[in-house]
Amino acid sequence: MALPISYNWRNLFVRKLSTALTFIVVTVVVFVLAVLLSFAEGIRASLSSSGSRANILVLKPGSTAEGTSIIIPEEYARLSQTPGVARGPDGRPLISRELYVQTSIPRRGPDAAPANVAVRGVEDTAFAVHDEVRLIEGRLFEPGALEVIVGRAARDRYRNLELGGQIALGRLGNRTCRVVGVFEARGGAFESEIWAPLTLLFDAYARRFVSSVALRLGDPARADQAVAYVNGPAVNLEARLETDYYRELSAKTREIVVLTTILVGIMGVGAAFAVANTMYAAVDGRRREIAMLRTIGFPRSSIMAAFVVESLLICTAACAAGLGLSLLVNGSRQDFLSEATWTVLAYELRVTPRTLIAALATAGCVGLAGAMAPALRAARTGVIDALRKA
Amino acid sequence: MSGTDIVLQDVRKVYYKDRLEIPVLEGLDLRVDAGDFVALMGPSGSGKSTLLHLIGGLDRPTSGQVRVGQAELHRMSERQLTAWRSRHVGFIFQMYHLVPVLTAAQNVELPLLLFRMPARQRRQRVQVALDVVGLGDRMDHRPNQLSGGQEQRVAIARAIVTDPDVILADEPTGDLDAATSSEILDLLRLLNSEFGKTIVMVTHDPRAAARSRRTLHLDKGVLDREELHAATPTGAGA
Ligand SMILES: Nc1ncnc2c1ncn2[C@@H]1O[C@H](COP(=O)(O)OP(=O)(O)OP(=O)(O)O)[C@@H](O)[C@H]1O
Ligand SMILES: [Mg+2]
Repeated sequence: MALPISYNWRNLFVRKLSTALTFIVVTVVVFVLAVLLSFAEGIRASLSSSGSRANILVLKPGSTAEGTSIIIPEEYARLSQTPGVARGPDGRPLISRELYVQTSIPRRGPDAAPANVAVRGVEDTAFAVHDEVRLIEGRLFEPGALEVIVGRAARDRYRNLELGGQIALGRLGNRTCRVVGVFEARGGAFESEIWAPLTLLFDAYARRFVSSVALRLGDPARADQAVAYVNGPAVNLEARLETDYYRELSAKTREIVVLTTILVGIMGVGAAFAVANTMYAAVDGRRREIAMLRTIGFPRSSIMAAFVVESLLICTAACAAGLGLSLLVNGSRQDFLSEATWTVLAYELRVTPRTLIAALATAGCVGLAGAMAPALRAARTGVIDALRKA
Repeated sequence: MSGTDIVLQDVRKVYYKDRLEIPVLEGLDLRVDAGDFVALMGPSGSGKSTLLHLIGGLDRPTSGQVRVGQAELHRMSERQLTAWRSRHVGFIFQMYHLVPVLTAAQNVELPLLLFRMPARQRRQRVQVALDVVGLGDRMDHRPNQLSGGQEQRVAIARAIVTDPDVILADEPTGDLDAATSSEILDLLRLLNSEFGKTIVMVTHDPRAAARSRRTLHLDKGVLDREELHAATPTGAGA
């Protein structure tokens, strides 16, 4: 019962300008959708691969991020009794004190706008607790030397963070440190950071406290017990699973997804009108042809289907084009300022299967919504009237 | 009383415009035997096209009966009429109504798409139909690459490709010069005499009408006159 696709396809080229404009509009919608979603996917991917289920992160009660948390030495001392903490080969408990500060570093690229990059002061145990951190270039910093290592994402995104580069740390910016190593951390948030010896930061920032303490557990299943102990009167700090901490930070991505949905929704409505406009013109220009098809026996449904298919052809092609364009930004490094930590998280834009499905669904909806009214008009064409006016 | 006689009894067709009744056909009776070739003449606005549309199941009478073969068109729903048209009638229009984006062969193939039929068989039928109208070598031409007469031939091929019993033509030569008209009329005569098609053709041109077997005159809503034509040999002047 259906008219051949070639019929629909060729008809699209009869009204080249109108078809082209509609194609462009839908392409832009799909492109914006794909880019915004790949932002969200990139951030989500980065944060969801951050942290370990075997770690608990301890902050000052009421703090939601390391940057606003202060843990003084007495409090830290009380943590050593936490039950279930794993021990390293040397028998020491795997408890990592970490100081979290930030420094301003210009981004790579022509604008060189400065970004707040996180600097984490760590001791040896940090590398046992955060065992996903792995050096991929250079070497570890030497205790006591003015040396730092940097995450892979940070190196790619910010200036002077390549091996051998120099950055200024300290309250007065007067400690020039050299980058001696680059690390990765399964794509997680640490890769956006600079890691320095804890003592160096104590000194440079005149601090006596740390921001957070990370504890590695021997048995992740018993995390509840450890968390309860830390939260209880014995320590009186606030503990949570490290993975939960990063999941909370990624709330931002949900915001992006919501905003994306609203924005793309509005654009989609506009695009549907553009499609409808094109299809109305097509229907009105082909009234006699429709009448002829009805005369030789094509039912209304075939006529309707023909115009819906035409609209979907434009929109599918536009979907492919929009996604194709979005692949150009795929993998490029961006960063965003986390509202929770006030530091930047560098991540890769990612076009994922989810983006693909969302783009197809959007283009399909636009195509269907735009085609409905014109296709109905086409199906209702008065055959005799249209023939008579020939 | 063979298969596809056309019988209209006491057919009335009234159009309404702003509550105003516009009677077009008023108690019309008509009988066309299977295998006949009838020309329908009459002043402009007399209802010739309306009558043709009723016979072809494109429209239904306000009252009265329209029977084509076994089908009682006045009783059928729009959906039934649509399906019936695809099997039993071929239409030819003054303006050809070919689809500009399709080739001649694809235009002719259109009615066959409504049938379950292997593509090979469809191609074969299209080839035969185009051969009958003498355009077997123009399969891949687009309508804008054809002359008016050739376009009308393609339209005729499209009308016969499903092998209907009845062919309805509304001023098929109205847009063509005399020589081309004559060729088209030859073709219609051939379809009538060789292939046994029953043909009803609306025309303003007495010379065209003279090529049919008989001419009916429609005036003031009824058929008021009829002439029989001596069998003119195919190809005789127009
Ligand atoms: N939908 C309609 N509404 C109102 N009047 C109509 C409608 N369709 C046709 N008519 C009227 O019916 C009458 C017959 O029309 P029809 O097209 O059948 O005439 P015709 O004999 O084919 O004329 P022509 O030789 O010009 O083609 C005309 O007066 C026309 O105005
Ligand atoms: Mg007419």
